[in-house]
Amino acid sequence: MTAIVEARGAAAIAPQAGAVKLTMLLAGAVILLMMIFGLTMRAAQGGLIELDPTLFYQIMTAHGAGMVGAAGLTGATILWYFTGRYVELLAGVYWAFLGLFLLGVVLILGATFIGGYAGAWTFLFPLPAISGGLWTPGAAIVFLLGYVSIGVGFLLLHLEVGRKLIAAYGGIGGALAWPVAFGNGRPEDAAPPAVVAAMASTIFNTLGIVVGAAVLVASIVNLAFPAFTVDALLAKNMIFFFGHVFINASIYMAVIAVYEIVPEYTGKPWKTTRMFAIAWTVVLLFVLAVYPHHLMQDWAMPGWAVVMGQVVSYFSAIPLIAVTAFSLLVYLRGAKSMRWDLASALLVLGVAGWTAGSVPAVLDGMIVVNKVMHNTQWVPGHFHTYLLLGEVAMAFGFMAWLGRRGDDSLSGLPGASFWTYAAGGTGFVAMFLISGAMSIPRRWAVHLPQWHLQAQIASAFAALIILAAAAFVLRYVVRLGKS
Amino acid sequence: MQTTILALSFFLMAVIAWAFISAARAAGSGSVATNTESRRKWLIVGLAVVGVVVTALSLRPWPLAVAATSAVVNVSGAQWYWEIDKDKVPLGQPVAFNIHTIDVNHGFGVMDESGRLLFQVQAMPGYVNQVEYTFNTPGAYHVVCLEFCGVGHHDMATDFTVASK
Repeated sequence: MTAIVEARGAAAIAPQAGAVKLTMLLAGAVILLMMIFGLTMRAAQGGLIELDPTLFYQIMTAHGAGMVGAAGLTGATILWYFTGRYVELLAGVYWAFLGLFLLGVVLILGATFIGGYAGAWTFLFPLPAISGGLWTPGAAIVFLLGYVSIGVGFLLLHLEVGRKLIAAYGGIGGALAWPVAFGNGRPEDAAPPAVVAAMASTIFNTLGIVVGAAVLVASIVNLAFPAFTVDALLAKNMIFFFGHVFINASIYMAVIAVYEIVPEYTGKPWKTTRMFAIAWTVVLLFVLAVYPHHLMQDWAMPGWAVVMGQVVSYFSAIPLIAVTAFSLLVYLRGAKSMRWDLASALLVLGVAGWTAGSVPAVLDGMIVVNKVMHNTQWVPGHFHTYLLLGEVAMAFGFMAWLGRRGDDSLSGLPGASFWTYAAGGTGFVAMFLISGAMSIPRRWAVHLPQWHLQAQIASAFAALIILAAAAFVLRYVVRLGKS
Repeated sequence: MQTTILALSFFLMAVIAWAFISAARAAGSGSVATNTESRRKWLIVGLAVVGVVVTALSLRPWPLAVAATSAVVNVSGAQWYWEIDKDKVPLGQPVAFNIHTIDVNHGFGVMDESGRLLFQVQAMPGYVNQVEYTFNTPGAYHVVCLEFCGVGHHDMATDFTVASK
C-alpha cells in the first residue's frame, strides 16, 4: 500500500499528460482519415463514385487495420493515463509504445498504398502469399512487420502496467480485487475499478498479442520461404483469437475512462464492489474463450468449440449488461448532481453503444443465425455499433475531457456535434444491419444495383459522422493550442 | 429468419437506448434506488435462464449435421471462380455439399432467386467442409463468395439449378 500512496504522490493526477494529449491528437487524425476511407467505400458501393476494385480493397485493408489500430491506441492510452494515477509508470515505455505504433502505421500504409497489399486487416492465411499477382510477398511482409511493430509496443506497455500493478497490489489477485470477489476482503480495501480493469485487460491483451505474434511470424516465414506452410485451420484459430481479444481489449481499456471521469461530473466515486470484481474475472475468462464464434462456418472445427463460442458469446453479454451498463444507469440516477458536456455525454454514449452492439453480436454468435447472417453486412453492423458508438465515442469523450474547461456544457456547437454524431452513427449502423438482414455481402467492392440505395443512405449518415468527428478533433486542437 | 432477427435486434437495442436516455434525463436528481442489488441479481438470473433455454432450443437439432444418406454435390473454390460437379441438384431431399478450395479461404454462400441467403460454409485450404440443405423450391440458385479472397472476391459467383421432380 505504501508504494501506491508514494506513487500517487509522485505521479498522480496527470501522468505524462503531454504524451497522452499528443497521442489523442494523432489518434483523432487517424480516426478521421479512416472515417473518410469508410465513406469512400460506402459511396463506391452505392454507385455514387467510381472506385477501381484494386483501390477499394486497399482502402478496405487500410480502414480495417487503421480503425482497429486506432481503437487499440486510444484504449491503451486511456489505460496508461489512468493507471498512472495509482502506480508510477516508466515514461520511456510509453514513448517506445508510441514510437513502435507510428513505425507500424508507416509500414502498414506503405505496404498498402505503395506495395499494393490488399489482403484485409485479418491477413487470413494464406491470402497474403496468394495475391493473384496484385502485390508481392515483400509488400505482405512489410504489412505484417507493421503489425509486429505495433504488437511489440503493446507488449511493452502491458508488461510495464502489469508488473507495476502486481507489485503494488500484492499480485494479480490483488489487482483483480479477488479478496473482495472470492474472499472476505472489504470493498474499501480493494483495488479501484481502473486498476481491476487495467489488470484484466493487460492479461488478456498480452495473451492475445502473443498468439498474434506467433501467427504473424509464421505467416512472414511462409512468405519468405513458401515451402514452410501452416495449417489453415490452426492459423485461422490463432488469427481470430488475436483479433477478437485485441478489439475487445480496446473497449475494456477505454471503459476505464468512464470509471475515472464520470465521477468528476457527479461528485460520487465509482467503487469496486463484490459484483464488479467478480464480473471482471468472468470477463477475463470469457474474452479468452469466446473467439470460436468467428469459426462457426468452419465445419472442420470441433462441435464442442463452436458450441462454446455460442454459449460464451451469449453469457459474455451478462457482465456487460448487468454490471457495467446496469451500474452506470443506477449510478447516474443516484447522482445528486450531474453536469453534461461533450466529454460526459460521449462517455455515456460509449457505454450505451457498446451495450446495444452486444445484441446483434450475440445473435450472430448463434450457429443457426450465423449460417444466414455471417459475412453479410450484419457483421460490420454489429461491430460498428460497439466501436463507432462505443469505443470511439469513449475515446472522443476522453479527448474532450483532456481539453475541458470548467464552464463547458452541451449547448451550442458541442451539443450539435454530439447529437450529429449520435444520430449519424445510429443511422449508419442501422443501414448495415438492415443490409445484412437483406443478405447483402460484406467486403464487396461492387454492389448490385438493387443494393445501391442502402449504401447511398449509409453514405449520408457517414458524412454526418465525419462532420461531427471533425468538430470534436478541431475543438480539441483549438483547446490544446490555447492551453 | 433474417427479418425476425432484425426486428428482435432493433427492439432490444431500442430498449437499451431507452434505458440510457431515461437514466441520463434522471441524472443528478439523486433519486434513491431501492433493491438495486436484488434487481441486478434477478436481471442476471433472467438473462442466464433465457440463455440456457435459447441455447438448448437453437442447438437441437444440431445445426451443422450432415446426414450420411444425402445426395452429394462437390464444390471447389479458387481465385475467383466456383466449380460444381452437378448441373442439377435434387428437390425435396437433403443435399450434402462438400466444399474445398485449391488456394485461399473462400465462403460458399447460396442465395435463392430473391437474393436471400439460405446457408453458407467456409472453404478452407487442406480441409473439406460440409453443409447440408434441403431445397423445397425448384429454380435457379446463386452462389457467391462470402470470405474475402482478393481483388476478384465480389465477382466469384456461379449458379445451379434445383430440378423439379
